Amino acid sequence: MGREGVTPGAAATARIAGFVSTLRENGFVIGVRENEDALILAETVGLAAKQPLRWGWRSLLCNRAEDWVRFDDLFDSYWMPPNRQALVETRAGGAGLIAVTDEAGSQAGRAGPVLQREDAEDDAGLPGDDTAKDGASAAPTLESADFRSLTDRLQTYAIETAIRSFARRLKRLRTRREQSRPHGARIDLRRTLRASIATGGSPQKLRFRAPRRVRPRLVLLLDVSRSMSLTSFFYLRVARALAIALGDVHVFLYHTHLTHVSEALSDPDPWRAQERLQLLSAGWAGGTRIGECLAAFNSQHAGRLVHARTAVIIASDGYDTGPAGVLGAEMTTLARRARRIVWFNPAKADPRYQPLARGMREALPFIDLLTAGNSLTALEAALSAILEVL
Amino acid sequence: MAAIGAMQRSLEAAGYICERDLAATLLLMADLGRPLLVEGDPGVGKTEVAKALARTRDTSLIRLQCFEGLDVHHALYEWNYQRQLLAIRMAEAAGSSSLDEESLFSGAYLLKRPLLEALLHPTPAVLLIDEVDRADEAFEAFLLEVLSDYQVSIPEMGTIRAVSIPLVVLTSNATRELSDALRRRCLYHYLDSPSFAKELAILQLRLPEIGDRLGRQIVEVAQALRQQGLKKQPGIAETLDWAAALLGLGVSSLDEAGAERIQETLSTLLKTHEDVRAMEPVVLERLLALAG
Repeated sequence: MGREGVTPGAAATARIAGFVSTLRENGFVIGVRENEDALILAETVGLAAKQPLRWGWRSLLCNRAEDWVRFDDLFDSYWMPPNRQALVETRAGGAGLIAVTDEAGSQAGRAGPVLQREDAEDDAGLPGDDTAKDGASAAPTLESADFRSLTDRLQTYAIETAIRSFARRLKRLRTRREQSRPHGARIDLRRTLRASIATGGSPQKLRFRAPRRVRPRLVLLLDVSRSMSLTSFFYLRVARALAIALGDVHVFLYHTHLTHVSEALSDPDPWRAQERLQLLSAGWAGGTRIGECLAAFNSQHAGRLVHARTAVIIASDGYDTGPAGVLGAEMTTLARRARRIVWFNPAKADPRYQPLARGMREALPFIDLLTAGNSLTALEAALSAILEVL
Repeated sequence: MAAIGAMQRSLEAAGYICERDLAATLLLMADLGRPLLVEGDPGVGKTEVAKALARTRDTSLIRLQCFEGLDVHHALYEWNYQRQLLAIRMAEAAGSSSLDEESLFSGAYLLKRPLLEALLHPTPAVLLIDEVDRADEAFEAFLLEVLSDYQVSIPEMGTIRAVSIPLVVLTSNATRELSDALRRRCLYHYLDSPSFAKELAILQLRLPEIGDRLGRQIVEVAQALRQQGLKKQPGIAETLDWAAALLGLGVSSLDEAGAERIQETLSTLLKTHEDVRAMEPVVLERLLALAG
């Protein structure tokens, strides 16, 4: 790319390798070839030309829109001079995150400081709206939550039993649609005719159709803001049991921003799962911006995750401190994609409950099932209802 | 940096306005010999990237439109059975024995489909594989093989190597998740909806006769429309159509034209029944007032 820069020496090569492994730890899929190409690129562009290097690596090392969004933060935190890096740390710091050591290299930048961005615009709530509504506020708190109860034995056993039977029934579900397969039950007439052209119109090779295996999928969006703090642990435990029992479960936590936690949750080692969640927990029990978090989900993840056999489970009390109207619009988009939207609202447990919170009112027309889901019986009822339609 | 700037200018000369990061990526594509995967919402100009690239390099654009059920015969090659049969009949009628199997399966009876055409192009062509997510997994695996080796094997003829390595641009609308292997093989670029300045620049480049004031108003309305949560978001192409329609009606500015006349042209912007119904006169007037 034109300009010849400094050829990376051994030290620089090691640093670049460190950057690539940081990206890998953050879920980027990078092969050996890409690693080599990243070095070649650094050689041709030169390490001094930060901007072209950023663009080049971004297109080389990113694989999907999700990576694309996160790349700039990861790049900054790894390559920015220490004074800027300190800035990044303070922005996300104080949340029980791992400290970035001086030899920034291999271990630094590990998920921690980069995954949660707390940009200025995230903090701005509506004036007058930030007075607490049952503890819901727009200000993200920096306290780190306690995840110890995540592995509380008694409750976990009961939940896991309920989930296991649900998983068994979910796996038995069949898919209705069909697609071309070399072996199958039904003849694919169109393809058979097409293939028969070669043999002058006599169909010697038959093509078949077999049921398409689009499995039902669950996506969980869990509100972990302060107003939900009493029940969010229970939902998180349910999510963990689901993620372990079923392969195709995707869990997101949200408060003022959205975080993908499926991988951390399905870690077979409960202690490590707890540790990894601790790293992701900045802003846990802070305010809620349901609408904007849903918007982020719709734009970054929904296209990939939500298909016609997806049930989206949202756990929230509906106290939204974001601007009005956003939640309703995003729910419209989501409802169009998803098969079922189930809303767990712990307040529903009270028989006198009326959906009066603004967020709840906006979302209500798009919800297929509104339930408390805060006890095992309620949970089993909700899961059965999901099974019926998937 | 100089090379990136030059690339950006030559893309602009080819009628495509882009940010510098995309220009850098396109340069890199040729340097590393990797395909480019472009993702983004419909109507942000994914397909246009390939067209502009072909124009800047002054080479031909070969397009493969993917769909469900796309197979090797649509994408790579097919024998021209009718012609083969005809040749056999004619040889029979003439009673000659000059026609042997070798000549029957030669290049003369081979129908080249886009992939093969791109590989056999004398100079590096731009190969656009559009909406790759619509094709099924089997085809994706096949594509991966072609894109990594740039050679294909035809059982009757043997292996055919690429005469020139084409510049491959893949686009995807994310209707289906692509495999990690294909993604890893490709460079990646995510195209966002255009900013105000970019959309205005595109409008002025494509429709130079448009007035400054009208251009600004049109882009203002288009940008505001994207915030309305429509079922089908208007892309850049829709904005251009709308601008052309307004020009055709002799409108010089939106506020003077009045809501009724504009309502008649909205069919270029709104593409579903629900969106048309949602765009009531009151809403439209508010949008126009905002555009000032």
